[in-house]
Amino acid sequence: MAASKPSTSTDPNTNIPDYEYTDVNSNIFHIGSFREEWLNRLKPSNYSYEQEHEDTFDANFAQEMGIGADTMADLKSVCSLDSLRCHPVDQPPDTDFVPPDPTLRTLIQRKKKQDHRASLKICKNRHDLYADELERLTVGRKPEEEADMVPEGEVVLTINVYYPATFEKFTYVRPHVTLLMTGSHSLAELRDAICCVSDLQVCGEFSNTPDMAPDFISKDHYKSAFFYFEGVFYNDMRYPECQDISITTIEWAKTRNFPAYSQAKMEDTRFVDLKLKVGFPYLYCHQGDCEHLVIITDIRLTHENDCLDKKLYPLLTHKHRVTTQKCAVCHVYIGRWFTTDDQFAPSDPCLFCDKCFRMLHYDAEGNKLGEFLAYPYVDRGAFN
Amino acid sequence: MKFSHIFYGTLNREKRAFSRLILDTAYSFFLPPFSFQIRVGGLYLLYCLYQCQTASPPEQIRLALKDWLDLSKFEKDAVDAQHLDAVYILRQLMFQKAFNFTAMPTVLVYKKKRKVEKSAPCEEFMERATRPQELINIELLEELSNIHELYGNLKSSVSLTSEQADPSFNLVRKDLIPQLRSTVMDFYKWQQRKDGTDEDEDSDEGTSSKQECSKRAELIASIKSKAFGEAAEAPKSRRHRQVEVNQTNYEAGPSHSSGYSRRNKPSLKTRTNENLYISGDLWKEVTTATHISRLTTLDFVRKEKPKEYKKFKW
Repeated sequence: MAASKPSTSTDPNTNIPDYEYTDVNSNIFHIGSFREEWLNRLKPSNYSYEQEHEDTFDANFAQEMGIGADTMADLKSVCSLDSLRCHPVDQPPDTDFVPPDPTLRTLIQRKKKQDHRASLKICKNRHDLYADELERLTVGRKPEEEADMVPEGEVVLTINVYYPATFEKFTYVRPHVTLLMTGSHSLAELRDAICCVSDLQVCGEFSNTPDMAPDFISKDHYKSAFFYFEGVFYNDMRYPECQDISITTIEWAKTRNFPAYSQAKMEDTRFVDLKLKVGFPYLYCHQGDCEHLVIITDIRLTHENDCLDKKLYPLLTHKHRVTTQKCAVCHVYIGRWFTTDDQFAPSDPCLFCDKCFRMLHYDAEGNKLGEFLAYPYVDRGAFN
Repeated sequence: MKFSHIFYGTLNREKRAFSRLILDTAYSFFLPPFSFQIRVGGLYLLYCLYQCQTASPPEQIRLALKDWLDLSKFEKDAVDAQHLDAVYILRQLMFQKAFNFTAMPTVLVYKKKRKVEKSAPCEEFMERATRPQELINIELLEELSNIHELYGNLKSSVSLTSEQADPSFNLVRKDLIPQLRSTVMDFYKWQQRKDGTDEDEDSDEGTSSKQECSKRAELIASIKSKAFGEAAEAPKSRRHRQVEVNQTNYEAGPSHSSGYSRRNKPSLKTRTNENLYISGDLWKEVTTATHISRLTTLDFVRKEKPKEYKKFKW
């Protein structure tokens, strides 16, 4: 692609993203071209993973600026980090505590919060623990094989997938998962990485045949899904059972005063081919009516501190965990069965874990005892 | 100067979040419309914050594609002015791979806040446009008025009727010079008004404002001392301009939308609590969560007093 420098004349370069609404979202741009623009402006050493030598840097700088060794040494000492140090070399301070008698407003407030926290007897936040665990697994990971390394100059997207619209809490506010993907991944790979509990739902009453329930998972039955980005519906057509579920919306839009929408295949589209806006909400729809909001929050070039193992992508960087509902009997295991009209249950409806359910409702041979209706239940926190 | 103290006291995940916040805030000082000195200060700030941060691995500085041109211009200016320290620091940051080359300066999540609390950028830091004053300076005005006089004399000497001026004489605007002067003055006054009333406050970065003050004084002094032939018309034109002046002052300045705070509708919970009155035990039962586990316990155990968490107020 020819390098197109941003012109100050009338024709703005559309590949350079800018705010459509400040601090809300950007305007539309093509990801592959955006990447090209950056690579045209940078030197390979800027985005490579290797670190240059300090001496080489000094020599190059001195040569370019035409300054002597003495000036260079002066410059280095003036700009060195020693002048920032505010404690003697052999007494490193404890950075976990606010220094005494702070005058900076940030520090005063932080001290207040620390003192308050010390007065409470709350042990460590479990969400932090999970997040730390996730980070430990992924940050700065280098692959064992050279071929698995994410190439330099590759573009990385941060995608927030939100809870489905039917989830009454946190709709559109708190992302369910945050995934990192590279530009060369396809949309189908993103689809596979999104775990939604509605995929595991089983429809139907199974009190007579409790063992057959896992065979009827919705994920296997209703395989169609689509993404909607900027007027294009990307359908999943990998399996013969997949149908084009976006056609209904497209036909409906044609009858109204909408701009024409087009279609494409999810598995054939890579992220670098897409044109989209950063920070703008888009749609992922599966199971016919389970709709998730999808927002691309960040697009950037890879950096040496990122996880560089291609096999780990799509990379999960944040996962929100919901409290699960436990069995009414043991309060230990997550509820898997949901019964109504049950003569054995203390309430209608009632939740049971698998073990308690079978112990209560079936005898040792597996015969059904009594009258009840049982439905397999998938808790919202099933993916915790 | 205890620079790195700003990072102390953060624990675990807060370190990264705080580094991100402070780097994003400092980044805005590195870009136009701030003056060159402020931008160098912003660069130093970024460098020091990046080095002193406690998050590990360090949080990067986000550089957006649209700001690349500004960055290269800044670097070029620094090289031309031989500010070697600024160039050195910039190159050091590049060398240490402190930058993330991104699409947008911050992470965007389509947050549409009703009240946008943006602190107004410090006006002293802004690089103000000085082109009008530079272009229409005193010498230019003098030259123009001289030429205007000469032209007038030439025309009147050529025309046969000496008393009444020839209609063709009126091709040139008679009050061009005073109008030019007053337009530039208006612009300057508007700029000053926009910047605030403290002109007496002496700031180190205000060297440019000092220059303008002196320019303005010179302008006034020199022109007042000259008596123009068009003085008779001045009141009329001045009056005309008076009206305009007021208008431009209201229109030319950016309209500061005083963030009108829309009264937030109270939530259903608060409305219910305010409107509904149930007394005593029933109320307590209603507001607390149902304990399904009590359905299956053998004995009725009295529940302990619920723990009270003090909410922290900043």
